[in-house]
Amino acid sequence: MELEAATILGKLIGAGLAAIGVAGGGIGIGVVSGGAVQAIGRNPDAAGAIQTNMILGIAFAEATAIYALVVALLILFVF
Amino acid sequence: MVEQTRRWRWGVNRWLVLLFIILGFMAARAYPPILPHVQLPAEALSEQPLVTLPGIGPLYLTNTLIALLIVDVLLILMAVGIRRATSGGALMLGGVAGAVEALLEALYNLTESTAGKWARSIFPWMATIVLLVLLANWLELIPGVDSIGLLHHSDEGYRIETLTTVGATEVQTIVTGGEEGHVEDGFSLVPFVRVPATDLNFTLGLALISVVMTQVMGIRALGAAYFSKFFNVSTLFSKPLFGAIDFGVGLLEIISEFSKVLSFAFRLFGNVFAGSILLFVIGTLVPVFAQTLVLMLEFFVGMIQALIFGMLTMVFMSQAVAGHGHGAEEGAH
Repeated sequence: MELEAATILGKLIGAGLAAIGVAGGGIGIGVVSGGAVQAIGRNPDAAGAIQTNMILGIAFAEATAIYALVVALLILFVF
Repeated sequence: MVEQTRRWRWGVNRWLVLLFIILGFMAARAYPPILPHVQLPAEALSEQPLVTLPGIGPLYLTNTLIALLIVDVLLILMAVGIRRATSGGALMLGGVAGAVEALLEALYNLTESTAGKWARSIFPWMATIVLLVLLANWLELIPGVDSIGLLHHSDEGYRIETLTTVGATEVQTIVTGGEEGHVEDGFSLVPFVRVPATDLNFTLGLALISVVMTQVMGIRALGAAYFSKFFNVSTLFSKPLFGAIDFGVGLLEIISEFSKVLSFAFRLFGNVFAGSILLFVIGTLVPVFAQTLVLMLEFFVGMIQALIFGMLTMVFMSQAVAGHGHGAEEGAH
């Protein structure tokens, strides 16, 4: 196989594999939101504070998923 | 309590939405959209660099720089407008000024609840970052951004066709012409305006500003004792084993500061860049109305990412001014 076709093949497979890492972000966000929803159910008056901390936790979990996405985009568009 | 509620009725807006859907359908049939050539670095709009600095090298006028200048102008206009509204003496501001005032008040309450008495110093940094990133992300929703630009020769290009001629410049558009697809001598689009957060320079710059100012705030609050967070020799001689562990943890804090820079930069960059690629791809696959739904998603993602950047800056700054003892217990990162 010529080099160009092999490069494109490698790029596409690599980007697809890198995108598997996004699953961890989904699980993390689910865990954080589940904990937050349970906490609001126990103590509805604290909903404001719980919501703020939930958004913070979701941002951290999503950041890791975004790192995996950035690696996939890097493989596709830079190499 | 009996309220006289109006029966909700359809208005004139449904006809406008229908009109725009029909116009979009006709436009998509006439000139089918193509997938633009996506590249990670921002595209320079001219061959000559703007300025060539001696140590650093040439600086080009890129399309993200133009977008950032537009955002700056909008922010300055907003500040001037609010200044004029508040100096009029009215107690309640209406319109855009009132909305911005409500946003700033919400941000200030958030800052005060976390930072305490340092809120007055921390709030300007946090609110500037929030407003800048918010306006920069919402720039994506304006039609014309990412779609109007210069046509350059490229080997993966398409045929073009001249629509009108305005003065000396020709207004041209790309036609795909069915199965022809890529042609040898084709053109591809370089947009005039591209969302600033899709440029890693912008996000990295903001991240560096945020982390460096966190250190400056810590030094301003605690003096030279701020560095005992990194070089923790307080328990090194009294309890040797735990002292050594604490010293190692202190050195790890330095690495954690660098990882904060990377984390800030890539979080904002990844969200907005992936969103813009999603917009392009969905716009190519389903030209009518599907992009509207993605635009709604981008609206929320842009707002949340701006808030997250600001909130994390504020949280790290308040940890820095609170000192080593309190910071270790909160332990957000």
